[in-house]
Amino acid sequence: MAEEEAIFDPSLKKKKKKAKKTPFDFDAALAGGTAGNESAEVEVGKENENPEEEEIKDVDDLDLESFGKKKKKSKKKAFPIEDLEVASPEVEGQDGEAVEDQEDLDLDFSKSLKKKKKKKITGVVEEEKDEKEESTGVAWTTDGDYTYDELLNRVFNIMREKNPEMVAGEKKKFTMRPPQVVRIGTKKTSFANFSEICKMLHRQPKHVLAFLLAELGTSGSVDGNNQLIIKGRFQQKQMENVLRRYVKEYVTCHTCRSPDTILQKDTRLFFLQCETCGSRCSVASIKSGFQAVTGKRAAIRAKTA
Amino acid sequence: MSFQNLKTFDPFADADKGPGEAVQDGLVHIRIQQRNGRKTLTTIQGLSAEYDLKKIVRHCKKEFACNGTVVEHPEYGEVLQLQGDQRENICQWLTKTGLAKPEQLKVHGF
Repeated sequence: MAEEEAIFDPSLKKKKKKAKKTPFDFDAALAGGTAGNESAEVEVGKENENPEEEEIKDVDDLDLESFGKKKKKSKKKAFPIEDLEVASPEVEGQDGEAVEDQEDLDLDFSKSLKKKKKKKITGVVEEEKDEKEESTGVAWTTDGDYTYDELLNRVFNIMREKNPEMVAGEKKKFTMRPPQVVRIGTKKTSFANFSEICKMLHRQPKHVLAFLLAELGTSGSVDGNNQLIIKGRFQQKQMENVLRRYVKEYVTCHTCRSPDTILQKDTRLFFLQCETCGSRCSVASIKSGFQAVTGKRAAIRAKTA
Repeated sequence: MSFQNLKTFDPFADADKGPGEAVQDGLVHIRIQQRNGRKTLTTIQGLSAEYDLKKIVRHCKKEFACNGTVVEHPEYGEVLQLQGDQRENICQWLTKTGLAKPEQLKVHGF
């Protein structure tokens, strides 16, 4: 099956490349050209684990293609599409074997394009695998119908162009000072800058404490110098992981991921209100869940009895 | 002419849901607890009551080379306990066997 595909695909691609050119939108070519090539390259890299040089070749190939588009456009238009499709496989047959590897690489690129084209011209979907590939389609704008993904990409690109600060905002990471975790003796761990971190997160220490203890499945308390003492041995890395989970769940907005949020309690439920986008969503309450007996059972029995 | 004995028992009567299909609902919480020294305990809470937890634990004990047990809890139902940090193992095993989907697994702890 794989071999068959390999032999078969080149023709698909060639067909496509030629067919694609006919109704090409000039603006779209300019706009989509760079982005399209990039994403195609990424896809190619993902799916085929071929050596890098071949990828580079592939890129060249694509670049040439997009370059040539503008010139060829007018000429190709004159041809009826059916002719092109019939004719191209023959052309392909000659050089097909030689460049098989290469052809294989831009498979995705060509296929997704082909697919759209096919729909437009004949309305018939030839092969199922084309359909599968479609989801990975490039945001290529031809005239007429756009897929949802294309439109989504486009609107995001426009947004980025219009307000570059938003892009910067996206990239601006939410940084936090690392938790200072020190062992006390052999069985306890101190989290020295606990209150400081709570302040940075704009969360009540009580809430953070409840989360930490529930997640770690231990007990602990805040001592006189505002440091947290937890039972059990924990390393800084482990605490970082838990804190990261806390931030993800209870600090960053679930919609826009901005850390500028307020946690409110409303009718026994916690709501996360975002200051940036104004969204408001409920967050899970902190439950420690099942706790297995780890201590000495005899001691527990003595206590209760 | 009736072959009563052929009809009486349908071995697939309770299998109409299909393997791993919506039997598990709700999250499976996988937690870790520290014990004395470097020892830990992994608890798996929230597995569907349809599953035979004893069978699961029997298999897991062999698979992960650890001891384990099923604990009955009034609020949380039957909870699996495995010795050692088996969080990774149990996650992989649950998804591999199709008992729970990856998005249903919630791993707690450090």
